[in-house]
Amino acid sequence: MHVRRPAPTGVHRVSSRKPRLSAGAVYVLLMALAVLFVGPFVWLLLAALKTRDEWAAVPTHILPRQAQWENFTHALTDINFPAYAVNSLFLSTMYAVLVTASSAVVGFGFARLRGSGKRGLFLVLLSTMMLPQILTLLPTYVLFSRLGLVNTYWPWVLWGVASSPYLIFLFRQFFAAIPSELEDAAIIDGCGWGRIFVRIFLPLSRPVLLTSFLLSFVWTWGDYIAPALLLDVDHTTLSVAITAWYRDPHGNAIPTVQAAAAALYVLPALLIFLFAQRYFIRSIVSSGVKG
Amino acid sequence: MARNSWSRYSNRTFYLFVSPWVLGFLLLTAVPLGYAFGVSLTNFDGSSPRWRWVGFRNYVELFGDAEAWHAMLRTIAYAAIAVPLSVAGALGLAVLLNRRLIAVGLWRTIFFLPSVVPVVAMAIMWKLVLNRDAGIANAILHVVGIKPIAWLVDPMAFYALIILTLWGLGGGMVIMLAALQGVPTELEEAAVVDGANRWRVFRHITVPMISPVIFFQVVTGVIATLQIVVQPLLLAETNSISGVGQVPQSTHLYMVQVYQEFFTSNRFGYGSAMLWVYFLVILAFTLLIQRSSRSWVHYQVDTESDR
Repeated sequence: MHVRRPAPTGVHRVSSRKPRLSAGAVYVLLMALAVLFVGPFVWLLLAALKTRDEWAAVPTHILPRQAQWENFTHALTDINFPAYAVNSLFLSTMYAVLVTASSAVVGFGFARLRGSGKRGLFLVLLSTMMLPQILTLLPTYVLFSRLGLVNTYWPWVLWGVASSPYLIFLFRQFFAAIPSELEDAAIIDGCGWGRIFVRIFLPLSRPVLLTSFLLSFVWTWGDYIAPALLLDVDHTTLSVAITAWYRDPHGNAIPTVQAAAAALYVLPALLIFLFAQRYFIRSIVSSGVKG
Repeated sequence: MARNSWSRYSNRTFYLFVSPWVLGFLLLTAVPLGYAFGVSLTNFDGSSPRWRWVGFRNYVELFGDAEAWHAMLRTIAYAAIAVPLSVAGALGLAVLLNRRLIAVGLWRTIFFLPSVVPVVAMAIMWKLVLNRDAGIANAILHVVGIKPIAWLVDPMAFYALIILTLWGLGGGMVIMLAALQGVPTELEEAAVVDGANRWRVFRHITVPMISPVIFFQVVTGVIATLQIVVQPLLLAETNSISGVGQVPQSTHLYMVQVYQEFFTSNRFGYGSAMLWVYFLVILAFTLLIQRSSRSWVHYQVDTESDR
């Protein structure tokens, strides 16, 4: 005879499962972690508002006695901050426009067009996403210096026109998901691929275009090694300028002014991110989930 | 006939569209790599025209270069610590945020924000935080009675670098979060009904379901950590490429060593040989992880979208 046994442990299990981590504990944990993640930003701002003595005081002063806003004035005037900001802005915008345009074109090619050897090429593309950029940067630098491209912005033009595997992938995923009825109708009407791309696909891809533009802008804005290698004192970007050039007459770094400069420098990147958070997250997710 | 010319048109159009990348890849990736190989067979010093071929002598020398080997081992140790910690940390944070929370968007922003901070600003911030005398880290440690720690010099600089890396794990967290949200809840609920506890559900259902994403994080993490050079340079006391000599021993990673060969010793040939050896090492690592993935990465469906 089969008697269905009531599961004696069942009730117990349900109750032991529930209080895994109480809501309160989760918030306490998140709060503690948030302090670690936000702390450096806050400390940077506090340092930017202190006098030099106050910054170096032992024991450490957490809050400035009186906010030293002139640190920001010094950050802007001790070096030619506006000129470097213009360099950064120019270089980032130019690269972002070029690389977005070229990556959209290439991404469209991989998503919608047929050609012999396409599969192989796409595999090469995916594996270049895995290629450490730093390996090619040094020999590229040597080549560029022999070609006389050092201290010009031509390298960024070339890098922009050459498109980026990462962004190509982003565009390719987007274009591949668009139903083919649209282009079929256009082909029957006698449209060439160029016009199909410009008239139909490009307008549809506005969010991806924006994502690509913002991402590549922030890359260049934040890049250190390429401008440090390729550009001299007059042409270089903000990222290089703020690292080393705030010095007192004795050659010592002035941490408070450097902190103010760093705050001014990081602000555009953070603003872009906050303004376009969902675009960033979407692009990161689409690159990470498909791999 | 008509079909033939159409396919020729399409073939041509395809190559026209992808030509920016093909040309860019050839000129800005393949040529520099090939050029580096050529240079690695010479004793070129970066400027003087009087270089000559030395064959594989640079490679032979590199094989017996204790400093380079130490730098390589240090880099591998750094990757072996930083990658698992950041992947696990990203997963842990994602699990914490993958539940009903007040202001979940705000939490996500807080943890993600550091990963978009430019490396220069990141280095400046952490130098302020970890400053031996005036930094907040030692001030907090002082409260609990710990003596000031010299974070930015040997041997602690190594750990400072790892802290800096972990601070930027928010990008990985966002990817993990998206993956977790893609796990069908029915599966987990079914396991819970069958009496599995929370941890076992996580270990045997959630993790296998998102293993492709974890795998991707490990691969990109390894590649990213192996090529780190800017962070050690900027965390060091002098921060410029010419000041590469001042990088503390414990953060003197392989790429730092390469930069030193290029810009302090002007040994472009030897440095190029180091680059090529490293290229092969990274390739080997990637293949190794790829091979190991067969045993622990579960792909639900073959997502080969073929157009």
